[in-house]
Amino acid sequence: MDQSKRRRGRREGDGRKSYRPSLGKERSKRLSLCLIGMLPVLVVHGGAGQIPKERVEMASAGVRAAARAGYAVLQGGRSSMDAVVEAVTNLENNPSFNAGYGSVLNVKGEVEMDAIVMDGRTLASGAVSAVRNIANPIQLARLVMEQTSHLCLTAGGAGQFARAMGMPEVPGDSLITEYARMRWKKNLAPNANPVECQMGKMGTVGAVAVDEDGNIACATSTGGMLNKMEGRVGDTACIGCGGYADNRAGAVSPTGHGEAIMKVTLARLILFHMAQGMSPEEASDLGLATMKERVEGLGGVVTVDPQGRWAARFTSTQMAWAAAQGGTLHFGVFSGEDVTQGIGDPADG
Amino acid sequence: MKAVLVVHGGAWAIPDELAEASVKGVKAAASEGYRVLGTGGSALDAVEKAVRAMEDNPVFDAGHGAVLNADGEVELDAIIMDGQTLGSGAVSCVQNIANPVSLARAVMEKTDHVMLTSRGANLFAERIGFKTAPTETLVTAYERREWEKAKEYGAGVKELFRSQLCHDTVGAVAVDSCGNVACATSTGGIRNKMVGRVGDSPVIGAGGYADNRSGAVSCTGHGESILKVTLARLIIFHIEQGKEVEDAVELSLRYMDERVHGGGGAIAVSPSGQWAATFTTERMAWAAAEQGTLWTRRGALQRQQRPDWTYDFEEVTGCLGTLTTTAIDEKSCYVTPQQW
Repeated sequence: MDQSKRRRGRREGDGRKSYRPSLGKERSKRLSLCLIGMLPVLVVHGGAGQIPKERVEMASAGVRAAARAGYAVLQGGRSSMDAVVEAVTNLENNPSFNAGYGSVLNVKGEVEMDAIVMDGRTLASGAVSAVRNIANPIQLARLVMEQTSHLCLTAGGAGQFARAMGMPEVPGDSLITEYARMRWKKNLAPNANPVECQMGKMGTVGAVAVDEDGNIACATSTGGMLNKMEGRVGDTACIGCGGYADNRAGAVSPTGHGEAIMKVTLARLILFHMAQGMSPEEASDLGLATMKERVEGLGGVVTVDPQGRWAARFTSTQMAWAAAQGGTLHFGVFSGEDVTQGIGDPADG
Repeated sequence: MKAVLVVHGGAWAIPDELAEASVKGVKAAASEGYRVLGTGGSALDAVEKAVRAMEDNPVFDAGHGAVLNADGEVELDAIIMDGQTLGSGAVSCVQNIANPVSLARAVMEKTDHVMLTSRGANLFAERIGFKTAPTETLVTAYERREWEKAKEYGAGVKELFRSQLCHDTVGAVAVDSCGNVACATSTGGIRNKMVGRVGDSPVIGAGGYADNRSGAVSCTGHGESILKVTLARLIIFHIEQGKEVEDAVELSLRYMDERVHGGGGAIAVSPSGQWAATFTTERMAWAAAEQGTLWTRRGALQRQQRPDWTYDFEEVTGCLGTLTTTAIDEKSCYVTPQQW
């Protein structure tokens, strides 16, 4: 999909451009948020879990590159939806992450992917689950949102739709890395250590953003769980679990133990707390704590609110994340880590 | 603890020719499910039983009676959730299974996952010995005719048909004598849906949600709208904030109408036995059973008037042992005993 040709301007849900008179107060509030550098803002994650030491640097470099790519879209005046899709596409194309190329394998040694996008202005959403043989599930999810009257397509039906949209079909093998194959083989062993099993799964990827117009979006993409059953769908494709965006409250993109995220509808839970006045950080911590307490699940989230406040929080050992705002890039992998550098600084890794 | 079971057979513009059968169907399902509770069974067993009864009933769009997708095939979605553990099982786009709600339960109890889809779900079903039901046994002649008609007219009059699209997803919620809550929802989706379309029913937080701390919900109506507002979880959220169950459901349906212009209905129950059955569509078939009493709507399916959101139901008394109930004869208000 060629995004660069898209013209500036916001489109209504059905694709038609229309004039919406802005309320004076709302507009000046947004202008002042832009002036003080709060908007636009983009936060990405590359998965929560236990990242093996030797892969930490590539995960960190990867999320920084994705954040820069997504932020450039916002700085160009384009929408938060364009930005999150750009960031997640970048991560899907990066074999270091468990999404698109580099996805983990199901029990049969095959790639099945889930993805979701959501538009906070209209609550429109698109998702695909257990889709195969495409390089960028996040783009297909967006097409579901924009080109169908449905919110989610699965498996063979999603593949059929991809072909109808002219999305190139790629051989399943082209999405599989040596690392993913090695992890899959290891987990097939009858005495495979369950903790070791999910280690280095590199994690789901995701992004949340608020653009200059105050529109909020989220996007999440994954290859799922190592050695999952065929047809297993995790949180990522389920609205309210693997992602949620609402202009009135904010956006969340989670990662971590998918089944646990589903049981507490983590994204939706965090936004409920924010709707009641909590900050992104407080709400994220409370949501993650609830997940740990109720269903013993660990994970992480990136969260943003309409004022541009953001958070990257996790209860797992690590989460590779990066946030771009006001010309500054924040990033981290370990708990409590928050390194900053100028967005314009030479990209590394 | 007061045991309560509520079921629904879909919120949509139920045509007159299906109305009576729909009401009969939900009453029968409620009785079957309540029998489980009455003998000390769990909420989880009760909702599964009630939904199975409606899946077996060809008048509802679930299991038997499911609608056909664009390719003329049956693709079924279902979810079940246990409020005690937040355990859940769901299947989406599973083919040729007569009771998807039971398969969903198997996902919850026999796997480490919450949701299986499509071929993977069917492989799992085969592995654990679920029989395959041929499409012809699941699809009614009525549905086949309607599907042909819709195909003939094509996309041009899609909007015209949209209002008549059946949304008779089925569902049940219950609280048992131990105070545990559970929900279950099952559907064949919408007629002529795209192949692989997943609606709200199997999506946790949308088609259903159950939590012992607040209650259980099952939703029906325009699936895409229910998903956008995560309707079940929204209702639970309002209950968590201290709202009465009925108010929580009404508020949430109103929000769905306002925010995404979607219609639907929901049934909900709290751990203390409060319950509600509310809808914004033309009609919804529902029934509730508590303490040996079976509640349903007089005249089956009147539209609720807005902004006055009061019910207009009649109590149908009965006793559990023999499950006799009395029915109100609309014309003369004369009470006639009737055996179930």
